[in-house]
Amino acid sequence: MRGFRAGFRLQLSFFRNYPDMLIPLLTAPLFTIIFSMVLRHGGRSDLSGYAVIAPFYMSLWWFAIFNGGWVIQTERWEGTIDYLVAAPTGFASVIVGRISTMMFAGAFAFVEVWLFGRYVLHATVTIHHPYVFGASLLLTLFAMTTTSLFMANLFVLSRSAVTFSNSASYPIYLLGGILVPIALLPGWLQPVTNIVFLSWSARLLRGSLGATPIANAGFDLAMVFVLGLAALILASALLTRILRRAQQTGELALR
Amino acid sequence: MSRVAPAVTAVDLVRTFQPRKQPLVTALDAVNLSVDQGEVHGLLGPNGAGKTTLVKILTTVLLPTSGRAEICGHDVVRDAKAVRPMIGIVFGGERGLYTRLTARQNLEYWASLYRLPGSQIKPRAAGLLERVGLAEKADARVETYSRGMKQRLHLARGLIAGAKVLFLDEPTAGMDPLAAREFRNLITEIRSEGTTILLATHDMVEAEVLCDRVTLIDRGRILATESPRSLGRLVSRFQRIDVDGADRELLDRVAALPGVESIAPGTEGHRIHVDGDEHVSIVLKVIVEGGVVGVRTSRPSLEEVYVGLIGDRGLQV
Repeated sequence: MRGFRAGFRLQLSFFRNYPDMLIPLLTAPLFTIIFSMVLRHGGRSDLSGYAVIAPFYMSLWWFAIFNGGWVIQTERWEGTIDYLVAAPTGFASVIVGRISTMMFAGAFAFVEVWLFGRYVLHATVTIHHPYVFGASLLLTLFAMTTTSLFMANLFVLSRSAVTFSNSASYPIYLLGGILVPIALLPGWLQPVTNIVFLSWSARLLRGSLGATPIANAGFDLAMVFVLGLAALILASALLTRILRRAQQTGELALR
Repeated sequence: MSRVAPAVTAVDLVRTFQPRKQPLVTALDAVNLSVDQGEVHGLLGPNGAGKTTLVKILTTVLLPTSGRAEICGHDVVRDAKAVRPMIGIVFGGERGLYTRLTARQNLEYWASLYRLPGSQIKPRAAGLLERVGLAEKADARVETYSRGMKQRLHLARGLIAGAKVLFLDEPTAGMDPLAAREFRNLITEIRSEGTTILLATHDMVEAEVLCDRVTLIDRGRILATESPRSLGRLVSRFQRIDVDGADRELLDRVAALPGVESIAPGTEGHRIHVDGDEHVSIVLKVIVEGGVVGVRTSRPSLEEVYVGLIGDRGLQV
């Protein structure tokens, strides 16, 4: 727990010293304006909730991939990773602590866009199913944390990490059903969305804003959890491999 | 009677690396080393000698290929969790700090990682910043620091948890002479508190000034372990007497004395090589009675030993 807390506070210090790392909190309301205007122009003000949900996911994903995904690599670039590995506190707990801070910042984006939508755009965004909403939000943060951890490890191993991180966002938004409902995607692509936890999560969050009952909420919640857990298992295996290989080859720090 | 375990032990330690499409590199070749608790021990060798590899194995960052190493009796591979709280590390260079954070933020973070109780973290960090002379700049971002200041912060980080064994890997590399001198003064203070220090360096002055014993290492093999003073015997068994202003007649008389091996012109006067300490006093007596007042005895400097044992390779590594 010490490592987690230290990592959490370290990332808070980064945010305090460098507020530019919080840029998604600035862009989220702008995306809310865009999506709200599109929906209003199309005569679908009843879908205002979508205009809040989408920027929230986009912010969360941004934190997960552009901050969290690079958290191990930046330790290598700074030359701090050798010290971190040789410290008494577990390396993984520090990294998870740092990523968790980012996820909190991402969760704040929801509060921000909800308030912005309600009081600036005068959009009606009512949470009709608060328990489902709360559970899906928590599980989404869990799954996003583990996915971010998985990517942080993957980026250490991959030579094309920069290209991937720069180009992966919009495909993920599509496969997660964040920008376009999954039902509108080509039929052959729709099964692929099942392995993207965002697709289950987005359906739940959107559903919790609607007045109608949510079908299969329990199953959807379980899917978010299972996919998050799968990412955690993969991330743990990768991290163990990376640290072991680094100790064997001496290639932990970049010189 | 229980025996206190050495602070650092290495037994037949081997470390090889396999670069892609290149022959196997042996960075450490059956290294044996023992450093007593409270000792300041120098690891002296040229670039690529294996100093950093040895330090990285001892600090649990790297695994040995074979052999074993212990810190205060704990195996660095099997018992790494017990080793880590006992060691402080200062790798040389400017990297290894969060440059976007302040010195205080850096130290408080590392104090947490070394499991200092919450109430002790702030005072400990403040005390160390004061001690290394960074108190006034404690809240400035590290990216604004000079190299010397960064090295002092590295040292403060190494001391944050009250390490039993402190590893310093070329800590003054790239520092200007004044900053390096200040840094050495700090090390001298720390040694007086009983901390064991393993200092990897290729700076002869540093090793001579700071170390109780020095291990010369080259191409992964240990050449010798002695006190800096005793190491001179490895390249010369002679005592040396430097004399200024001795005339030819006196030098001829000295040359005939027992134990005098040779007399050679030096930079200012002459250097007399005497075999055996028992002959030195007679030679000195004859010189002084001959009216010479500029007399000095000396042993080979560590630099001479270094060049003598390792060889002058110029820029080769």
